[in-house]
Amino acid sequence: MLKNVFLTLLALAIAIGGGGGSVWYMLEAQEGVGAIRIGMWTAFPDIGTPEADPYSKARVAREGVLALGRAEGLAFVAKQDSGGEQLRRECSYSIEGGFPTARFWTLYAADQSLDVIVTGKPRPAALQSYEILRQPDNSAIISVSNNPSPGNWLPVQGTGTMYFVLTFYDTPIASSTGLSDVVLPQILKAGCNA
Amino acid sequence: MRRVLHAVLLGLLGAGILHIAVLLLVPKLTERSAWSRLATASDLYKMTRLTAETGGAPVVKSVDPLFAAIACRFDLADGMVQVKGPPGTIPFWSVSVYDRNGHNIYSFNDHGASKGLLDAVVLTPAQMLEVRKDLPPEYQGSVFVEAPIDNGIVVVRSFIPDESWRPAVMQFLGGSSCDLRQP
Repeated sequence: MLKNVFLTLLALAIAIGGGGGSVWYMLEAQEGVGAIRIGMWTAFPDIGTPEADPYSKARVAREGVLALGRAEGLAFVAKQDSGGEQLRRECSYSIEGGFPTARFWTLYAADQSLDVIVTGKPRPAALQSYEILRQPDNSAIISVSNNPSPGNWLPVQGTGTMYFVLTFYDTPIASSTGLSDVVLPQILKAGCNA
Repeated sequence: MRRVLHAVLLGLLGAGILHIAVLLLVPKLTERSAWSRLATASDLYKMTRLTAETGGAPVVKSVDPLFAAIACRFDLADGMVQVKGPPGTIPFWSVSVYDRNGHNIYSFNDHGASKGLLDAVVLTPAQMLEVRKDLPPEYQGSVFVEAPIDNGIVVVRSFIPDESWRPAVMQFLGGSSCDLRQP
């Protein structure tokens, strides 16, 4: 009798713990289903649409996200540099290359919850395409560093992991026919302030 | 021993079923969804800033630091909802309509609006039929968004290229309205 009770409890514990825990784990993981990777940049074009998979839907609901629509834009997130190493706030990076067609784009450095890094200065850790100095071939070089640098400077502050978020607004790539030919800039590590 | 194995297998099967059940129920039951957060912050048909005013956590996380956003909740069972913005030149604005679960149903930006004015009406297909019969003059320039839903959220986002644009953008967002209309 006691054995039966124990076995029932064991089955229930596995079912409830395993079922609940596995959902929680899937929703906490950054990598999701439906992601598109271009170089080091990841985007979720389907997130927040009725066509999204159940995991994205649950994540949208749980985090209270209101995702950008197709006519608004598409956001890419990078968490590693082009060498495959985690981005760090104490390091300097150079973001180099061309950008796909869009009315404008914004780039910002974010902490783990994808909020913009607080610099403590009037200058935010964010840049947009209207204020970018370009190379003769229309590409751009952006320096990410704690210290001011010439050209395009994206100031960051502090230590720890960092993400870059690059959002294209009013862009044909959001309507997703040509996402495979899109080329995004590289993220090259320039050095670290130990 | 075989009965323990039996119980473990049964538990794993149950875990699989529960995984699916929990996954599908999360959007329905969560109290952290955008709708719930907005509901605690303000009433229906009331435009609310999404980004944090100085101090305090933002109502709904606004993704881009170079943007400002406002939102209002609506219930199409009461009637149509009209979102209007004041005339003015700001670099970019966009409108998104979300259903109660936070799914983006429709979006457009200033290039898709007539005369560049923010004027959108969200309504159900049945209300659309009603309005089509005799289009009142106040809806001549409106963008009609047919949405087969009851509850939803309208979000207006606007780009702030630099601090000098902030007053103009804030004036635009502050002058935007969200009103219940009868078809």
